[in-house]
Amino acid sequence: MIEISNFSFQYREGATPVVQGIDLAIPDGAFVGITGAAGSGKSTLTYALNGIIPHCYPGDFYGSVVVDGLDTCDVALTDVSRLVGSVCQDVDSQFVTSVVEDEMLYGLENFGVPRDEIEGRLEQALDDMGIADLRDRTITSLSGGQKQKVAIASILALNPRVLVLDEPTAELDPASSRSVFDLLARYAREHGATVVVVEQKIALLSQYADMLVIVDEGRIRFADAPAKVLEHSGELERIGVNCPRSTTLMNRLRAEGLYQGPSVRNVREAREALEEVLA
Amino acid sequence: MSAFLEYVPGTSPLHRMNPVAKLAAAALFAVACFCSSNLVFLAVLLACGFALAATCGMLRPAVGLAKAVFAFSLILTLVQILTTPTGAVLVALPWGYIGTGSLLAALTTVVRLVAAAIPLFLVFYVTKMNDITNAVVKVLHVPYKYAFTFTSTIHFIPLFMNDMKGIMEAQTARGVEFDAGGIVRKVRLMVPLCVPLLVSSVRKTNSAAIAAEVRGFNLRTASSGYKEYPFAAFDVAAMAAAVALVVCAVALGIVL
Repeated sequence: MIEISNFSFQYREGATPVVQGIDLAIPDGAFVGITGAAGSGKSTLTYALNGIIPHCYPGDFYGSVVVDGLDTCDVALTDVSRLVGSVCQDVDSQFVTSVVEDEMLYGLENFGVPRDEIEGRLEQALDDMGIADLRDRTITSLSGGQKQKVAIASILALNPRVLVLDEPTAELDPASSRSVFDLLARYAREHGATVVVVEQKIALLSQYADMLVIVDEGRIRFADAPAKVLEHSGELERIGVNCPRSTTLMNRLRAEGLYQGPSVRNVREAREALEEVLA
Repeated sequence: MSAFLEYVPGTSPLHRMNPVAKLAAAALFAVACFCSSNLVFLAVLLACGFALAATCGMLRPAVGLAKAVFAFSLILTLVQILTTPTGAVLVALPWGYIGTGSLLAALTTVVRLVAAAIPLFLVFYVTKMNDITNAVVKVLHVPYKYAFTFTSTIHFIPLFMNDMKGIMEAQTARGVEFDAGGIVRKVRLMVPLCVPLLVSSVRKTNSAAIAAEVRGFNLRTASSGYKEYPFAAFDVAAMAAAVALVVCAVALGIVL
């Protein structure tokens, strides 16, 4: 679905490339998590996926980014947007209207969704995010978490084939974060959609993602199944990515020769692995 | 309480009116204010403005707005008092005098400005920006880009005011005393804050433009809007009443 080949980008006002030599293939229907230290180039990578780079931010673009056969440099941003739904990191500046219902309608109207489908899609997206009661509220009256849910709902209503979300749970509590990831996983499953999520919460990412991409100083350090990536917990710690404690514990036991199984992603898996070791 | 010029949800008749009818009636109301210099007539219009505000629960913002317009029109009224020597002499000046007519003219100006402003501002408090945009595109056939630009500008006013408030609160936490001293000192303290406000404003508008574009802004046509905005009898009656006010104002100007 997405093919990134030897991609490098340097913002016009920047002195060095923010991302360089990126090669990444994301298959159709995959759930991909991208993480890395602050300033590692994660957001720039998402801008390349949704066409914002090179269409909105000028700079030196090398390589290619192809989404469903469309080279993002060769087509208009609108053509990319028909395929890719985006939720930006700063949701506050993403809103173009002042009321939740209007925000939901905005994309549906622009993309010419048939009138008889609009109400159904709107209600479905609001229900999925659990914010049906916010429909008539003004955006400014919402909390940070509620705004994030509205921003995600307004994109889900468009039924995009690719979802690119930049820290969609930054302002959500753990329970809400989990429910958002549940919803994204369900959306990907039901619609056969590809989901790319940039997130700092690596425990959450490794739980839901098929592929975990670790970005460090503009380069991809690891891109593999979460269990494979988490095997490198020591190196991840060094580049500023905190692994779940259960992962670190089991990796240490493996280094001591006390455990030979795969890396664990959470406490439940760690307990099961420990029970196995102790047995 | 909502911010300045921010939509306040409600179900009053003004909320339910057609957005174009609201805009047209408010514009005609303002025209009526400027077509007459009869203080009594203008006072009646002012009272009507407050009554309209009361019907949609916006009396307090309307009073606040009236105070703000009054403050802004003070300079104008001062000039008028000093340069319109009419009526009985109250205070002699080297270049003329301040008379009863001067005070009456100044009062008329203040009442006129406040009366004209209230319905125009009420439109934004009782109408969603999206409805204004879509209605003027669908009914008046205004190009969407222009309508969106206008309503986005209004949409950003409360956001920027909120940003300014945030910056001022941050400065207050660092020891800047905005409350101490007079208005001149406060303005002097606020001027340097305009730079961060400008930077965040530019960033915000840029992000909003990108967000609009990735959600199909360029695909928008006049028929894209989901909602329809038919004119009801009440809308027609409101516009007719506004036209009648303009006729009255012109007639009073001719007769008196």
